[in-house]
Amino acid sequence: MHEVSIAQSILDIAITECRKAEYKRINSISLRIGKVSGIKVQSLLFAFDIIKIDTIAHGASLLCEEGPVAGHCHECHNNFAVASELILACPECGGTRFSINGGRELDIVEIDVD
Amino acid sequence: MKVKVVRRILEANEKIAEENRRLFKEKGIFTINLMSGPGAGKTSLLVRTIEALKDKVSIGVVEGDITGTDDAERINALDVPVVQINTEGACHLDANMIREALDEIPLNDIRLLFIENVGNLVCPAEFNVGEDMKAMVLSISEGDDKPLKYPLMFQESGALIINKTDLLPHTDVDMEKIRRNALSLNSGLKIFKISCRTGAGLPDWTNYLTTLLAT
Ligand SMILES: Nc1nc2c(ncn2[C@@H]2O[C@H](COP(=O)(O)OP(=O)(O)OP(=O)(O)O)[C@@H](O)[C@H]2O)c(=O)[nH]1
Ligand SMILES: [Mg+2]
Ligand SMILES: [Zn+2]
Repeated sequence: MHEVSIAQSILDIAITECRKAEYKRINSISLRIGKVSGIKVQSLLFAFDIIKIDTIAHGASLLCEEGPVAGHCHECHNNFAVASELILACPECGGTRFSINGGRELDIVEIDVD
Repeated sequence: MKVKVVRRILEANEKIAEENRRLFKEKGIFTINLMSGPGAGKTSLLVRTIEALKDKVSIGVVEGDITGTDDAERINALDVPVVQINTEGACHLDANMIREALDEIPLNDIRLLFIENVGNLVCPAEFNVGEDMKAMVLSISEGDDKPLKYPLMFQESGALIINKTDLLPHTDVDMEKIRRNALSLNSGLKIFKISCRTGAGLPDWTNYLTTLLAT
């Protein structure tokens, strides 16, 4: 629901980094968005396309890579990464004592600039 | 030309949340970020909690709503410091809104600060504001399928207050299912069953708060 403010943060960070590296134009911004980050990619792209107008990122696209939900099982000691959003048991052994350590990322990974 | 940046998109919020957290710590304030879907009973719970504890603990409240001052007025009637934030459309409170609101709260005189978030079962759980703990209210009338449909808030919260238990006889809600599924998402969750209407179960909650503050 707050994709507009997320899009604004992406734009702000990318513009700052582009200027810092002394480039003039942003062609694309690569993101890593965890499966359970709560962000709807479609809404994010929509918001970004509106706010980028009149900035050095006006021609930029967002490239989104989805991060899996990752965890560690305290019963079979396996690390796991799955595409499903909701994990109620370890996908390896079915155990219920596990911790989730990935899937909520909302990161900028790389920008392509000229 | 590609430039590696690796930055968290929400880093600006995290940084301010950290500053708020440091300020709370310095002032000796325990802060609870209270979340729920619209109308689950956050303000009712605050009113009940303040009535029960205000002679023993100095309490302050930050009220977050999209618009209006109704909730702050309900708290103000109890004679505790309260400040209303209007998010003007935003679906959650963020750390910067809290930082600005803190100017209006006598931080030196407060031991327990409640932040009532915007009524929304999703977004508030995604933003830290510098709180010591998140707590959530789920009301019986919302149904027993909510933990698995809106897992994040259950995963982020330290306490789950199940409110409106007086309505149980009028619904087909399976209380045990709520408890089981909430615990499967977050085994450390403390669960309280209360009714702000009748007052049932409230002492469990207020005793828990008193114990938290004593440690
Ligand atoms: N039957 C019953 N009604 C309740 C109970 N607690 C609250 N209510 C009613 O539920 C409605 C919403 O309560 P609020 O305390 O305003 O809920 P809220 O979560 O603060 O609402 P928002 O701030 O608008 O999201 C009010 O009409 C309350 O009187 C309860 O335990 N039982
Ligand atoms: Mg309220
Ligand atoms: Zn396992």
